[in-house]
Amino acid sequence: MINVPTIELKNVSKTFDEGKVLAVDNVSLKIEDGEYAFLLGPSGCGKTTTLRIIAGLEEPTEGKVLIDGKDVRGIPPEDRDMGFVFQHFEIFEHLTVWENVTFGLEMRGYSEEYIIQQAEKALKIVGLLEKANEYPSIFGNPGLQKLGIARAIATGAKILIMDEPLGSLDPKVSRVFRHELRNIVKDLKLTAIHVTHNQEEAMAIADKIIIMRAGKILQVGTPYELYENPNSIFVANFLGETNFLQGFVLKLFDDETMRVWIRLGGPKLNCRNVRNRFILDDNVVIAFRFEDVYLFPLDYDFEKSPYDWSKMQFFRAILESSRFIGDTKRFYLILDNGDRCVSVKPGSFEENFKLGEELIVAVHQDDIHVFKMPKNLIYELSLT
Amino acid sequence: MNLTKKEEILQVEESEVKKQLPLSLRIDRFFSKPVYRKSLDAITIIFFILVIIGPIINIFSTIFLNIPKIYHDVFNDELLGNLQWLNILRGLGTSFSIATIAVIFDLLIAFPTAIILTRYEFKGKKILDALVDLPMAVPTSALGFSVLLFWGIFGIEPGYFLIILGHIVFTFPYIVRNMKIVLEKTAVLYEDAARTLGAPGFTVFRTITLPLMKEGIIAGSILAFTRSLGETGATIIMSGLVETAPILIVGFRRQLQLPSASLLAGILIAISITLLFSIKFFTRRVGFPAKKVFPKLERFLSHKYLRITRDSLAFTLLIVIIIIPSFFIVSQIEGQKLSQELFLANDYKWAYLYVSLINSIQIGFLAVVINLIFGIPFAFIITKRKWGKIITILDTILDVPIAIPSAALGFAIFLFWGPAGLGLFEPGFFMILFVHVTFSFPYMVRPIIGVLESSNVGVEEAARTLGASNLTVFRKITLPNIKQGIIAGCIMVFTRSLGETGATIVVMGNVRTIPVLIVDWVEANNFPSAVFASILVIIFSAILIFLLRTVSKNARKR
Repeated sequence: MINVPTIELKNVSKTFDEGKVLAVDNVSLKIEDGEYAFLLGPSGCGKTTTLRIIAGLEEPTEGKVLIDGKDVRGIPPEDRDMGFVFQHFEIFEHLTVWENVTFGLEMRGYSEEYIIQQAEKALKIVGLLEKANEYPSIFGNPGLQKLGIARAIATGAKILIMDEPLGSLDPKVSRVFRHELRNIVKDLKLTAIHVTHNQEEAMAIADKIIIMRAGKILQVGTPYELYENPNSIFVANFLGETNFLQGFVLKLFDDETMRVWIRLGGPKLNCRNVRNRFILDDNVVIAFRFEDVYLFPLDYDFEKSPYDWSKMQFFRAILESSRFIGDTKRFYLILDNGDRCVSVKPGSFEENFKLGEELIVAVHQDDIHVFKMPKNLIYELSLT
Repeated sequence: MNLTKKEEILQVEESEVKKQLPLSLRIDRFFSKPVYRKSLDAITIIFFILVIIGPIINIFSTIFLNIPKIYHDVFNDELLGNLQWLNILRGLGTSFSIATIAVIFDLLIAFPTAIILTRYEFKGKKILDALVDLPMAVPTSALGFSVLLFWGIFGIEPGYFLIILGHIVFTFPYIVRNMKIVLEKTAVLYEDAARTLGAPGFTVFRTITLPLMKEGIIAGSILAFTRSLGETGATIIMSGLVETAPILIVGFRRQLQLPSASLLAGILIAISITLLFSIKFFTRRVGFPAKKVFPKLERFLSHKYLRITRDSLAFTLLIVIIIIPSFFIVSQIEGQKLSQELFLANDYKWAYLYVSLINSIQIGFLAVVINLIFGIPFAFIITKRKWGKIITILDTILDVPIAIPSAALGFAIFLFWGPAGLGLFEPGFFMILFVHVTFSFPYMVRPIIGVLESSNVGVEEAARTLGASNLTVFRKITLPNIKQGIIAGCIMVFTRSLGETGATIVVMGNVRTIPVLIVDWVEANNFPSAVFASILVIIFSAILIFLLRTVSKNARKR
């Protein structure tokens, strides 16, 4: 059994410019052995700094970094035995592909045969073995990043750290590439941390996502947990596409649901009340995903439909505009009180709605999340 | 990437494969310890303080300690009264007026020239470019001699006017070069954008290009001004009876009037440093007037014919005032007289020429080596250490040797290290070397700082994460990336050392270098030999500038 290390941060803080800038604010996290973890957050949230602290490229101002339970503070990056993949590749342009990949192995003083064996394996994994004698200048961005990955895994390090590894690739290329990346991590049984600001990328390949904002960790969980149970307006907004409406609590029921009246005489909706810490007249923000919004014409006969409509919340809205995006259709709606919301349906969704037509909007009550009205809603809803 | 079949896990028992680290890596690891880095930093800073700051502080303290003597000699001599002081004032006035006029004239020709050389495409552009750069590498005494011979045809005698003509020639490349660098860096796209918004060519230049060029123009002008202010060799040849400040210092030193010399050197150094600091301070605050636009006038000025007139006028001036006088000397070689004077006369001129040439090359080479040893760590300190204010101060002081007239600097070093100060060196070979190390230090450090600042820190971090210690990273990653800057620095130091006259004269004792020998021979009216020596160094410099251009071209390609 090969020992795969864990990574743990305990109350780590990092300040820059003599304490003026707080980049990482009391962060604690644990990444289990063999886990593919993501640090996700908007740019400037401290995720890259956190990563650099783990790699030893920055020293934390406060707190501990434990690799496999051992405190590694003061150990320089060259002695931490981690692979690091950079957003801008940082390939050694004056060395050949082969020399790039063997660099880390040479530094460790391995025997000739072992170096050749490891470098060949690493290059084969990323598919660059035939290019071993070329200089990296022949590559475009995808080739450079493959080389960057080969270079990082060739040393046999069991921890792989990646700072926006797909950030410099075209969106399409990056979408294909990310699955290959996950395969590499899993096949080599690595403990991996991957930093990105791309929600879709994290959702697609992560075992665990750690959401950061302004130097703090907001929520940790599997992609499913975070999507289904966001613990804040920011997380709900950051992952996926979400409608937000403001209102107040009209009624609390025993079965963990409550009734919310949307502001300015908007609709009254039953919502899921997971956190159950609201009292009557609390100002709240309710959230539901674009794809959870159903649309029906006014004359739709619900009686004839085979579905159970008892937990559906209905209100009326006017169709302001619609867009066909290929795989999806998007409908932009205006409620009676002037609030707006969006519905996303599959591209194959059949309808003949006309612009300006009044429609029936339906949302399942379990799909509606309730949050306390924050002090600064605009800040909570901004994605930076 | 085909991962359908599972790859084996990249892991083998460590004991089987681990060999001992190669010796070079072990040495790197050992010396990567912070204590060695700190020691190197300390040695570098001590070198910097002793070599650059020490002599300058020393000259002020010398002046301060010798106030009575200086007062007596300069202001209150029994025979001469305050004649020395009047001489000093006149010398300063002459130097500053010459430098100002030369820089203004340079700027007038340099604007169109820089634009022609960067924005136009034509046959022979590369040759013209090289010809414009060349005077920078040729020892000024050879240039001055060439200028003297050329304008001699038109009956212009040595004196104030000829000095100006000469100074224009050797300061011009500094301005054009700096303008070219910024113009090449500035995207033509900005200018295109302004044009699509309806701005005529002249307005584009004045409101877009010029403000972007600000730093380059100022940097070039400072360099040209200080070079003119401090030039000695060519000025001695062209001056006749006129005395500039550096010539006065050389004179005082020759007559051993050390109090007067130290006062003048102190004044020159103080003025130069003040100028350097205030310009550095103001350039960041002062902008060019670019807001107002005069559509009709500027549209008229942008007219094709006016542009052609302006360009051809600048081009003519460039050829007549700078290029032809620079190389006129090549046509002046007279074989028969030369062989008589140089080889057949019984004062062994050829032997002097040979020895001086060897001296020049040795001094240049050693200056390069010493500056390389201390220049690379110093450039690292400036770019990598996070010492806050200290770095800003070091960075500014670094330019001081460029800004102060070399004769004054030479004299300051003579006072500091020579018999009157620490007494470690006598005037002669090693003191010349010392002076050359001092004034050429920034020429080594600046290009290295340049490449270090533009080089990518990311690859260094990548190497660290792969297991390379600090020194291994330096050896295997950083050094190959900054090689170009280091080579450029070496060539700059060598050419500056090869061409220096003023500082050498002050500390040379009875040792001669090539530029000083040319001055000596011109003063002794041994023209054919002086012509021969000048052509020799011009060819030598041409080779060097060719190397420099090749290096910097490769650097840009990467």
